[in-house]
Amino acid sequence: MRKRTHINYSSRNHHSHLRIDRLSNCENGKAVTVLRVHAGFMAKKRLANLGIIPGVKIIKKRSALFRGPIEIIVKGSSLVIGRGLASRIMVKKERTQTL
Amino acid sequence: MRKLISHKSGKKSGLKKGEYKDTINLALAGNANVGKSVIFNQLTGLSQTIGNWPGKTVEKMEGHLNFLGYRFNIVDLPGIYSLSTYSLEEIVSREYIVSDEVDIIINVIDATNLERNLFFTFQLLELKVPMILAINQMDLLRKRHFELDLEKLEEIFKLPVIPTVAVHGIGVHQILEEAIELTVYHHPHSHYIQEGKEIHEHLTHENHLKRYSLKESTKNISVKKTFQFPDLISILSYGKEVEIKIKNLIKKIDPHQEYFSQFNFPSRFLAIKILEKDEEIEKLFIANEKTSQILELADEYRKELEGYHGEDINTIVSSEIYNNIHNIIVKVLISKSRIGRKVSLAEKFDHVTTHSFWGYVILLLVLIGIYFFTFLIGDFFGGLIEKVFTIWSDGIYQIYGDQNLWVLIFWDGGIGGLFGAIGGVLVYVIPFFLIIEILQDSGYLPRAAFLMDRFMHSIGVHGKTIIPMILGFGCNVPACAGCRIMETEREKKISIALTSLIPCAAVMTVVLGLVGRYLGIIWVLILFSINFSVIIIVGKILNKVMPGQCTELIMEMHGYRTPNYPVILKQTWIRTKEFVYKALPIIIIAGIILEILFMFRLLDPINFILSPITVFWLGLPFITGIFLIYGILRKELTLVLLAVLANSMGLSLLELLTPTQMVVFSLVTMLYIPCFATVVLIARESNWKYALQISALEIGLALLIGGMVNWVLVLVIN
Repeated sequence: MRKRTHINYSSRNHHSHLRIDRLSNCENGKAVTVLRVHAGFMAKKRLANLGIIPGVKIIKKRSALFRGPIEIIVKGSSLVIGRGLASRIMVKKERTQTL
Repeated sequence: MRKLISHKSGKKSGLKKGEYKDTINLALAGNANVGKSVIFNQLTGLSQTIGNWPGKTVEKMEGHLNFLGYRFNIVDLPGIYSLSTYSLEEIVSREYIVSDEVDIIINVIDATNLERNLFFTFQLLELKVPMILAINQMDLLRKRHFELDLEKLEEIFKLPVIPTVAVHGIGVHQILEEAIELTVYHHPHSHYIQEGKEIHEHLTHENHLKRYSLKESTKNISVKKTFQFPDLISILSYGKEVEIKIKNLIKKIDPHQEYFSQFNFPSRFLAIKILEKDEEIEKLFIANEKTSQILELADEYRKELEGYHGEDINTIVSSEIYNNIHNIIVKVLISKSRIGRKVSLAEKFDHVTTHSFWGYVILLLVLIGIYFFTFLIGDFFGGLIEKVFTIWSDGIYQIYGDQNLWVLIFWDGGIGGLFGAIGGVLVYVIPFFLIIEILQDSGYLPRAAFLMDRFMHSIGVHGKTIIPMILGFGCNVPACAGCRIMETEREKKISIALTSLIPCAAVMTVVLGLVGRYLGIIWVLILFSINFSVIIIVGKILNKVMPGQCTELIMEMHGYRTPNYPVILKQTWIRTKEFVYKALPIIIIAGIILEILFMFRLLDPINFILSPITVFWLGLPFITGIFLIYGILRKELTLVLLAVLANSMGLSLLELLTPTQMVVFSLVTMLYIPCFATVVLIARESNWKYALQISALEIGLALLIGGMVNWVLVLVIN
């Protein structure tokens, strides 16, 4: 079994008031800033290569039905990442910016 | 196997057909969907061959052309995002780029997505290979009111930069001109120095001939060895701390130059990669006793850097590269107007096809569309070809008699097999390839992966598997080959198993022709639900049995674009050609063998041996044993032979088979084994052991479920 990184951030479902959240919990169409990626070595490397690095602004474009994957816009192009991986990307929500 | 194909300009330069002064080996490298394959098609036309990289199941596209008296061998590398070791494709590409087989790398860059594309360019720069940058989709960039300062870009990279609009063929031959330039002078930029600002002007052939005819023969001089790579340290810098570590590592690596020179990787690249903990490169270090200590130093450095930055090494390196890219983009990309863009048609389409409701409706329609397109066209031409064969057969029988041994073996077996392959397989495969190329080129398939990812996870693979599975609805053979896109061996194997269970167009023929025609659509739907349940169950079992874990989906979603029809047609033709070369001989030989078995009544014992299963367990007529054996060759043969038998007995199918038998027979045909061509292909993609395992598993399942359905129906009806 994969060792899951335990994170202290709250994992309740409806907490839009929080500034820091998992990417998977964010609202669609919102711009967020990547804070940290809690993934395995290879997955993290892959994401870093694709531009998902702390400090980078991304937009959560949409998510698929039934807790499906998430589409984000990063470095000017669309990227789809699985829900499990998206839940391990911690982001900071922006107050104003929307898609 | 080198074919000589003469290009128009080859003749112009006064050289005879097939004659050339020098050979230049090019490789097209870049991200997926940047127009690499369009450039490749523009350059090589139909002189392409699809093969595999030696020992790997990654597709290798090769093509040739003669241009201005030079012979070009061009390889289209798989579309990748970095040169790490995330997937087989990346490993294959990296090894090929530094090998002696290639002289110049053409890095194709999508002008509208510079940031992501330049990341790959930066990785290529570290390999210090002669390179030309082809900036594609320049027209689209201008449409979005941006301008790119190409001269500045050349100045920064000190490499030739060529603007292209690949779909219209603009700039593609200039790439070749530049490649010749590099070959002749072994130095980038030489002709800019000589002729100043003439860079982007398209040179006429006459001009070129004048220029190149003056040059002394350059035969057999490797571009790579004499090429002086420009000093790019200022733009490649990873920041002070990392650079010091890299420098120290290079110092340790350089004394072992002798050992490392066999791999062709530059010391700096090796240093960065061991710092990044790249497994493949670490293996090179471990293999040599003297160099394995360097890894310890690299480990120490990595920990130091990670401690200092509080980030993992790959994050540090990647963010430094993106910083460098940002610095360049600021200098070269000029926004011309600040007018907000309207939502384009492509974006609306994107929205609808990924919609939580309409997305699934469209996915369903696409699947039905593939079926009907493949089925209707295939059926029409298949019927025509069968008629032609019947007419010719009658002629042959009249001349030689229909009991002649040789007629039976060669005409019925050999030529019959050939016609069967064309009329029964090829006519379905061609329209299928066509529609798949359209789907692929337009960019729809990743949307399906997006929608289905969640569901696919429950059967042990991620969303991308849906792509070969969709292909499977037309024909399992190319679909199983399509499983190459999966990143890990485990996912590839599971995908192949699941794809081989998808009911293809041929199975559809049987189900519709038997159950659909005589029992109604409800039974067809029931059969399909059973089939899909089997797929889900097999997926769940394989997910448990196979070692390892399901990886997460990471996939780029490109915008929609109008399909490029010339490319689609060319690709369809090339894929068909490959299929003909590889599958047809096997089908014909198998046809002859089956005919011989049939002739010497060797099949009767087979029927007899099979009868406990066919007659007792499945409740089918005695004769169907043979039909199911034939069905391995081509699944629709089961129905065709059944119809022939009924005909010869003067019965209709309804009188020959009971409704229960029809259901069971169709169900067994659906599941019992992937057709022969698919089995061969699976063996080629993985190995024979796995192909036979899948076959055995599916036969077992078909018999189990077929028998159960039989007994349940018998009990219910009685």
